[in-house]
Amino acid sequence: MASIQLGDYIVIQRQKYTKLQKFGSLDATATLGKEHLELKSLLDQPYGSTFKMCVKESKVGKRGAQRQHRLELCTENELRSIRDVLNISSSGADNRDISDNGEAQALKSADIEQLREACNESSKIIEKLVENSKTFHTRTEYSQDKYLLKKEKKYFEFVQIRQPSIRLMADIFHRQDADKIMGIRVDTLSQIISYSGVSGFGSYLLYESGTNGLLPAAMLNSMGAGTEATLVHMHPGNVPQKQALLALKLPLEQQQRCISVNLYSVLREFYQGDRPEAKTEAPTEVETAAPTKEAAELVTPTDDSDTNTEEQSDNIEPSSKKVKLDESSNSTNKSGPLHWQLENKRAVALMNAKFDNLVMAAKEHPSNILQALLPLVKPSRPIVIFSTCKELLQEIYMELKTSGKVTNLHVTSNWMRMYQILPNRSHPEVNMSGNSGYLLTGYTLK
Amino acid sequence: MSFLKPKTHIEQGDIVILYLSVNSMHAIEAVPTIVNKKGETIANIFQTPYGSLKVQSIIGVEYGSRVELSKGWAHVLQPNPELWTQTLPHRTQIIYTPDISMILHQLEVRPGAVIVESGTGSGSLSHYFLRALKPTGRLHTFDFHEARADQARDEFKRHGLGDFVTVYHRDVCNLGFTSELDGAADAVFLDLPAPDLAVPHAFKALKLSGGRFCSFSPCIEQSQRCINVLTKLGFNEICSMEVLQQESVIKTRSLPVIDLEFLKAPKSTERNPNDDIKSKEPKELKKYLTSSNPQVLPGHTGFLTFATLPPNIPKA
Repeated sequence: MASIQLGDYIVIQRQKYTKLQKFGSLDATATLGKEHLELKSLLDQPYGSTFKMCVKESKVGKRGAQRQHRLELCTENELRSIRDVLNISSSGADNRDISDNGEAQALKSADIEQLREACNESSKIIEKLVENSKTFHTRTEYSQDKYLLKKEKKYFEFVQIRQPSIRLMADIFHRQDADKIMGIRVDTLSQIISYSGVSGFGSYLLYESGTNGLLPAAMLNSMGAGTEATLVHMHPGNVPQKQALLALKLPLEQQQRCISVNLYSVLREFYQGDRPEAKTEAPTEVETAAPTKEAAELVTPTDDSDTNTEEQSDNIEPSSKKVKLDESSNSTNKSGPLHWQLENKRAVALMNAKFDNLVMAAKEHPSNILQALLPLVKPSRPIVIFSTCKELLQEIYMELKTSGKVTNLHVTSNWMRMYQILPNRSHPEVNMSGNSGYLLTGYTLK
Repeated sequence: MSFLKPKTHIEQGDIVILYLSVNSMHAIEAVPTIVNKKGETIANIFQTPYGSLKVQSIIGVEYGSRVELSKGWAHVLQPNPELWTQTLPHRTQIIYTPDISMILHQLEVRPGAVIVESGTGSGSLSHYFLRALKPTGRLHTFDFHEARADQARDEFKRHGLGDFVTVYHRDVCNLGFTSELDGAADAVFLDLPAPDLAVPHAFKALKLSGGRFCSFSPCIEQSQRCINVLTKLGFNEICSMEVLQQESVIKTRSLPVIDLEFLKAPKSTERNPNDDIKSKEPKELKKYLTSSNPQVLPGHTGFLTFATLPPNIPKA
């Protein structure tokens, strides 16, 4: 298994909570609620390792103590069932004798805080809590389990470091802020990949206006390492969002098969060709940039609120803003073509050869974008358009149906329900996500 | 050979989807002649509700084209796992795209992955696995029904997928996934009546560096027994879910808007009687683009249970 390196994105997991974090430097820390973790000791350890959080210092913060932890690699399997550790034997039959009078726990919250500072192990804290609980042993076995789970969640001192994958990231992004990935839920993401037929063979086209890189990353992941498949990733802004792409740490060869280009500038080049004056004359460039900026502004509010913006801008290849500055100096220097120009060229070549699918997830009205991109798709190829609301797709559905250019049109959504399955305690989970978003799917015709 | 990669023109021997309408499509093999029951070689004619198709006429045609039938027309599409799932010859119950998509996502299948599947059934899911893992991965698929295993093997070969799959005729609940596969799999998928019996074999087949597991079962009791065994063997991240897809039926509706205001005023006798008749007729039609759910939709397919085998669990 791969080992953790500086510059990697890592997934930190504490029980069911997961978080994507950049391990940028040796003094990087990660924040899990009130706990701050020093990441230094992760270096060179294999992914999948479990670490114990050891309190180094504790500061009084606004909302309780803020604790700084060192991380120590756990070699033996220190994770045991809390019920076994505590050796709990007796339990009640029902809750008839339990009343909620706030007196069940004899320990005061100050005592518990102290206990927390004093010992490193959650099992010891929970042991004390159970000892001092007047009602614990009259609770039913199931209720005891629930109590232990709740306490363990709070005091659990182990974290696992995992390598980011599409599965883990889709889950993290959706849980933390679904809007930042346009509300694309895991089931919908999985269906975008299926219906669009992305695989190790073919040339694919994606338009996406901001999913933290999740959509291009998912497609590139399905295209695989060492294959011939290519992806043209069109986006409306100056810089594509790439966090998920970078986090996957794919081989360079594979990363380079995702060609990220600005929608306006690549379409201009496609239709008007690579005119020499377009390259050197400043006014043409400004013209190109103008709509780009507008679009970027539309998208920005969500982008800027992104907690990871800082990390992103650090890591993404030089933004095109910078590129443009470079360009003005370069054009006088007559140096070689710029990165984005080369990418545009590669994209235009693929556009001329036409694509094997079209995937769209637009924050803008999809109709004009679809009209511009649909002619670039070969006949008998899948198209998949995502939207959070049905009304937009209804319009597109009718447009496509009337045009006769696409067949087997479907607009679908999903119901996804998680289940708790335990002996005698199986039921659907109490909360579920109510919005999967909608997919419009179909096949192009000649 | 039409499943291997995107292609533009129909070649002899391709499976082709003859698309008549949303509810009517057929997978046909592009061969000019077939052998009939009497053992005679005859021209391959395919009958549809819109008349017959001389199959020879579609060879060399571009995928996505319109082809003429004797009493209408249809489109020819290149097959893919989605279309195949809707047209394949059913030998068993099959799993459909919404569940399959989740299975592929959760099992993290991508090119290069080694996947173990049981049972093969009609090969609906196998085609998806193969699309996702080719050209560098491998599917090992097991079925205890000999004829089904043979048919599937033959089908994969004809679809151009033979290089990426091994089909086994074997009862995995009793015999396991063969010792050659010990520690070889990135993920194991089970669709068996008693998945719990095969979980220990799945455990053995997964790589020492860990892997993902999925069991699909229609009944919650099967999932429960399966989870029991998974927990005992040290799997974690165990979760169960169901995914149901709803179709939106999209239609433009025209609704008459009726005027009731005129009823408030007394009928004036002096007026032209024609006026009155007119006002009862709807003056206005309002057009709406609507969507509604179909009358009947799938309410249950199966419970998907996923789990992770963490790295370095001793298997002795």
